[in-house]
Amino acid sequence: MNNYVLLNNVEHKNLKVIGDFAPKYGDNVMSTITFPQEFRTIQGTYPIFFSKDRETGRFFASAILGLREGENLFLTEKGWDANYIPVTIKRNPFVIGFQRVQEDGMLKKNMVVNIDISSPRISEAEGESVFLPHGGNSPYLESVVSILDYISVGDRTSAEFIDSLLQYDLLEPFSIEIELKNGDKNQLVGFYTINEEKLVALTSDILGDLHAKGYLLYIYMVLASLSNVEALIQRIEMR
Amino acid sequence: METAHSLTAYLMSKANRLGEQMNDVVSRIVIVGGGSAGWLTAAVIAAEHVNSDLGIQVTLIESPDINSIGVGEGTWPSMRATLAKIGLSETEFFRECDASFKQGSKFKGWLNGSDADAYYHPFTLPDKYREINLAKYWLKYRDKVSFADAVCVQSHLCERGLAPKQITAPEYSFAANYGYHLDAGKFSALLHKHCVEILGVKYISDSVTCINAAENGDIASLSLQVGGVISGDLFIDCSGFASILLGGYYKIPFISKKHILFNDRALAIQTPYPDPNSPISSQTTSIAQEAGWIWDIGLPSRRGVGHVFSSAHIGDDDAEITLRKYIEQDVGKKIAEELPVRKIKINPGHREIFWHKNCVAVGMAAGFIEPLEASALVLIELSAAMISEQLPATRQIMDLSAKRFNEKFHYRWGKIIDFLKLHYVLTQRQEKYWRDNCESKTLPEGLRELLELWRYRTPWYYDELQIDEMFPSASFQYVLYGMQFSPDVIPPREKVKATEVMRAEELFSENFQLTQRLLTVLPTNRDLIEKIKKHGLQKI
Repeated sequence: MNNYVLLNNVEHKNLKVIGDFAPKYGDNVMSTITFPQEFRTIQGTYPIFFSKDRETGRFFASAILGLREGENLFLTEKGWDANYIPVTIKRNPFVIGFQRVQEDGMLKKNMVVNIDISSPRISEAEGESVFLPHGGNSPYLESVVSILDYISVGDRTSAEFIDSLLQYDLLEPFSIEIELKNGDKNQLVGFYTINEEKLVALTSDILGDLHAKGYLLYIYMVLASLSNVEALIQRIEMR
Repeated sequence: METAHSLTAYLMSKANRLGEQMNDVVSRIVIVGGGSAGWLTAAVIAAEHVNSDLGIQVTLIESPDINSIGVGEGTWPSMRATLAKIGLSETEFFRECDASFKQGSKFKGWLNGSDADAYYHPFTLPDKYREINLAKYWLKYRDKVSFADAVCVQSHLCERGLAPKQITAPEYSFAANYGYHLDAGKFSALLHKHCVEILGVKYISDSVTCINAAENGDIASLSLQVGGVISGDLFIDCSGFASILLGGYYKIPFISKKHILFNDRALAIQTPYPDPNSPISSQTTSIAQEAGWIWDIGLPSRRGVGHVFSSAHIGDDDAEITLRKYIEQDVGKKIAEELPVRKIKINPGHREIFWHKNCVAVGMAAGFIEPLEASALVLIELSAAMISEQLPATRQIMDLSAKRFNEKFHYRWGKIIDFLKLHYVLTQRQEKYWRDNCESKTLPEGLRELLELWRYRTPWYYDELQIDEMFPSASFQYVLYGMQFSPDVIPPREKVKATEVMRAEELFSENFQLTQRLLTVLPTNRDLIEKIKKHGLQKI
């Protein structure tokens, strides 16, 4: 179970975080959240699918890492086998938290950094230091903060982007049937992608709107990413 | 010149004939009365026709002085298709109508009134209903498991107050079939808004003062108190009990069914939950009483509870005491005694015909029967759908449409009455009301025949005479076996087949496994409704 607490330089002054990737650090996940700003780099390596949050039913975008529950095809004995690691993986074990504060008589929500203190990445012996000896933020922590910022902005863009996709009926459910050379079959369900028929039928007004918002580029990034499914299957075959 | 002249004459005569036909085209549809009947009918017709090129205009006239009665807070699963068809978002429906999920009915105390006496009539058919008649193979387990529990998941879900789907399921799709419980007043208001803003229905708030006849006996127009005269080609009477066009103007006789279904009074009380987070029931519960029954319906913000009874068997005061005693169990004596009660008179029965000349009645203007199987709203949906789908193109063809409509709905009313009566006739209760209900002279002929047949064989789809029966034979199974009906003999023709026995065992076991799985993944009704209000359901 995750146990998130507010990061602070008193309690956590000696804390180090292990940056390696392995199943023992909880990295054996089949997907991780991504967002439009990251699509350009994600689509070079990973398929981008949409799926629904189990608690809210709302759509979000994911980078696909494996084709079965608990399978990450990029994890090897030498670590993460890809040039680019999705930021929602790299941020571990940190997450964005919000703190309600009273400021000038107004209730405000401030962004804070929380850490999962039950994470197996946490150590006092090895890894990157979070704080400098005198309590200042380490360069590592600064990089984490900028990643969390990036994710926070990305989440908002993602929600607006997906609202537009839904508004124009541009998402459709799809399933992938995978048959391996050894005869094993697997079906991926619960995923959604861009409906290309609807996309090509859009009027120029709507296309103009999507383009003005920068969404057209994101849409084509998602479509381009689908060719990576084949590469994932090859990774399975090679094991 | 001669040629030109005759061509002109030809063109003129053609124009005249076209003109005649144009006058004859049915394009102006006038609905009298708001409420669920009026607005649902307007929505169904407008959604199908208004934006077509036929120039159809739907106008709804609602009297500002009349409050709609708002009976029928339960729907059938058919409402999902109806709402989807008129283009209403299910999320909006949940947010606006204080709606909850209904997965069927639970009948308590109808057999003998003992504590254990309860059965379900769920919305889900027995598993693989068209392939195999599981009733035959369930009979030998009847002492161990109820019929509904053995053949479908829904009674298990209802018993635990679970929702029929997860938040990730798109609008109108489901894990277990469902309809709704809703606040009828809020439902009418939402339909009103949708009809006027989206579907192009013209709304007039005014009272009808005079009905003006055409030469052929049709209704030509309606005079309004302030708004002048509204002409129309087809008039739809949704004026409720008043039935001002079909009953009031055309004097179509009313056929009473009180000799079969005795209940002619209802008392309704809107009941608060003991706690805002109290569970919301997944079914309508109908609890048998000394001379009638109590309905209990859970909406997100309150319960709708009422007592339907026969005035020949119990007085209004005693009926009210019975109802308040029931409510007292959950909210305590003090609150139960203070809650306001609404009295409703029911005249059980229907008009002799429903469509006469260019006037068709929908909803209570056509008829009303006790809400035991929530047949009011579904009859409105079916009527509206048939009027809309068969909308006569011209006046000449309308008499044929009317004939077919009358035959269809005559049959449907008969079937509803048969099916409602079935709930009463197998009782072992001893009160006079229940004994009177079992008197053979109160049985409709159709039901008498079916009961005779079922002494020798289990009901199945051969018993469905029409392709669009309101109650499939499965509904009869749920009620019959819920009421512990037992065939006299298992005749040789219903001899069980070895292969079918195996298949049945397989299905019983599949149903058990599916039930176990759904029990772990489905949220409670209240959880899901809160989530829908907060996050909405996706359209895909």
